[in-house]
Amino acid sequence: MSVYRRIIAPLGACALSILALPVSAHVSLETREAAVAGSYKAVFRVPHGCKGAATIGLRVKIPEGVIGVKPMPKPGWTLATVKGKYAGSYSYYHRSTVSEGVTEVAWSGGALPDDFYDEFVMQVYLTDSLKPGTMLYFPVVQECAGGAVDRWIEIPAEDRKADDYEAPAPGLKLLPRK
Amino acid sequence: MIRGHLQPVAVVDTAPAAPSGPARRWLARAVACLGIMLAMALASMGPALAHASLVRTDPGDGEVTGTAPARFVLTFNESVTPLVLRVIRPDGTAFDLLRQARQGRAIDVEAPKDLGIGTHVLSWRVVSEDGHPVSGAIVFSIGAPSVNTMRTAGDVGDGPVRFAIWATKLGLFIGMFVGIGGAFYRAWISRPERHGLRVIAGAIILGFVAALFSIGLQGLDALGLPFSGRIHRMAWAAGVDSSQGRTAIVVAAALIAAFISLGTPRVSACRALSLVALLAIGAALTMSGHASTAHPQWLMRSAVFLHSVGIAFWTGALTPLFAQLVAESPDAAMSLRRFSRAILFVLVPLVAAGIVLAVVQVQHASALWTTDYGRVLLIKLGLLAAVAGLAAYNRWRLTPQVEHATPGAARRLARVIAVEMVLVLAVLSVVALWRFTPPPRALAAAASEPAYVHIHGPKAMADLTITPGRAGPVEAVITIAAGDFGPLKAKEVTLILTDPVAGIGPLRRPARRSDDGSWRVEGLVMPIAGHWSVRIVILISDFEQVTLEDTIGIRP
Repeated sequence: MSVYRRIIAPLGACALSILALPVSAHVSLETREAAVAGSYKAVFRVPHGCKGAATIGLRVKIPEGVIGVKPMPKPGWTLATVKGKYAGSYSYYHRSTVSEGVTEVAWSGGALPDDFYDEFVMQVYLTDSLKPGTMLYFPVVQECAGGAVDRWIEIPAEDRKADDYEAPAPGLKLLPRK
Repeated sequence: MIRGHLQPVAVVDTAPAAPSGPARRWLARAVACLGIMLAMALASMGPALAHASLVRTDPGDGEVTGTAPARFVLTFNESVTPLVLRVIRPDGTAFDLLRQARQGRAIDVEAPKDLGIGTHVLSWRVVSEDGHPVSGAIVFSIGAPSVNTMRTAGDVGDGPVRFAIWATKLGLFIGMFVGIGGAFYRAWISRPERHGLRVIAGAIILGFVAALFSIGLQGLDALGLPFSGRIHRMAWAAGVDSSQGRTAIVVAAALIAAFISLGTPRVSACRALSLVALLAIGAALTMSGHASTAHPQWLMRSAVFLHSVGIAFWTGALTPLFAQLVAESPDAAMSLRRFSRAILFVLVPLVAAGIVLAVVQVQHASALWTTDYGRVLLIKLGLLAAVAGLAAYNRWRLTPQVEHATPGAARRLARVIAVEMVLVLAVLSVVALWRFTPPPRALAAAASEPAYVHIHGPKAMADLTITPGRAGPVEAVITIAAGDFGPLKAKEVTLILTDPVAGIGPLRRPARRSDDGSWRVEGLVMPIAGHWSVRIVILISDFEQVTLEDTIGIRP
């Protein structure tokens, strides 16, 4: 009994949590769930280049309903944003109404060899216009040396999983507001 | 420097409230678990997380090699484990190479020794170290890309059905040409008399039975059912619905009219009925068959009409003429004179129409001996040459003798006509084979017929045309439009083809935009026939793409 409690149970729990670790060959989000009407730290994980070529740029499309975008600068990379009008207008912490802002974030000019791993981070606000229970996808274009491009922009159909696609856009599941 | 590094450790050491008892044990476990997780996660990162991608192949995709390759080499950007590796021959049979394949960055296997000329596919599926399977296929050709020859007769029923179809066709011919033609001769050339009446009536009855049977057999053939002695109701319905079925119905009606004419004492009624029956033959035959579907239709249909009416007139005369001569009928000489005068006017359009039909159907002289249709035509022409020789001998040598009542001439003429009848019967038996041999024109048209699929999605739609729609070198043209039929601007269009049944992994080809706005994939080789899954990926903007999926049938 004590052996079970001391060793096997913790090891089992540990093993289960390892299995649950998302191991993916795709560009993906570190945190796969977030509540609407709250902020979210989006960490884009880039596990490899494009067919062996080094990554030199990463562009992220901000989906509709996501506002307050604040990307994190990375040493060695030039950070730029594209601003534009949103399709709708959103309330931001009940303080103001927002109808335009960042629609695209681009890190460029860096060099991430195919053999290495890196993360690209931004802070965003998920407005309450987003529907809990659905998936929210951030299409990503990965630009590599030699003009190669990998597009992680496939939006899975509602009845299918991201695994069914070759290059799905990284996504997260929306939870009810806290 | 050193001090700065050590500082955090010192902070932990001097922590004022260290957790006690069970709490500390729990913390230790959690830390250990985290440590293991971290180690595992780190170990699985880096190159292990990478997608395997194919860097180079030998032979290359789309390559045409002079000789069969000795080895197949697939080089990836990382170590992979092969799951599927096989080569598919031009005839669709597969040879499994997986047993030879070893894990590594390059899969290098010995090619089978017996690879022949034509297009082959090397289909592969590998798993990279992260467990993500990747698949694909390379298409290469030895000597030249396969251009499969189309089956010429294989698409008509099984053995018994084919024999029955041939026999009924011959029966129909005899009914039409010997029966109706004979009735017409009796009504218009000779006087309605008894000579040859039984043979003509027999031919009409035979033709009638054959006409009825042919309807059911067409149904069997159309439904692809075997011949089991009994023809199901469904087959009859399908037969009536087919063009050959409608022809048979009109012929049956014409046979009835001709049969009635045989027993009609009034000459005018007899002539009217037999004339209607004769013209109905021509009309019926323009309603079905290879020739009537060819272009230009007005020319082809007129040619079929003249040809068949002419044959009926000529062939129909032989039986009663023979009977008159054998019976030494007093009317024989008069009938012969009238027939001889008329036949020249019939023969000219008959031959002219025949030449038109042959030229349009055969197209190239070489098709005469390279296709079944052409071979049947050659045999027919050979037999016809003999018939024509006998007919000319009859017309210019024996006919004047009979008219001058030269002793023995009538019997000689009757004997030659008997030979002529046998030859005509042989011609009809050979011609009935055409039912199974699509003419070179139809073969060429079928071969170049494109395969087509229209895929409609909510955001976009696409028309994919693969020309020709058969295995071998093809060109794919994709036209795209928005889901509401408006124009759609695309940055890139990619065509992805998979044959799930044959296990041929995705052939991925980028399309090039051409001046007319369509997207083209050139140098594509469809390795084998079958139902291919089609995926058309349309990149609308940097971040937006639409994928359309369907299947397309590729003929052998």
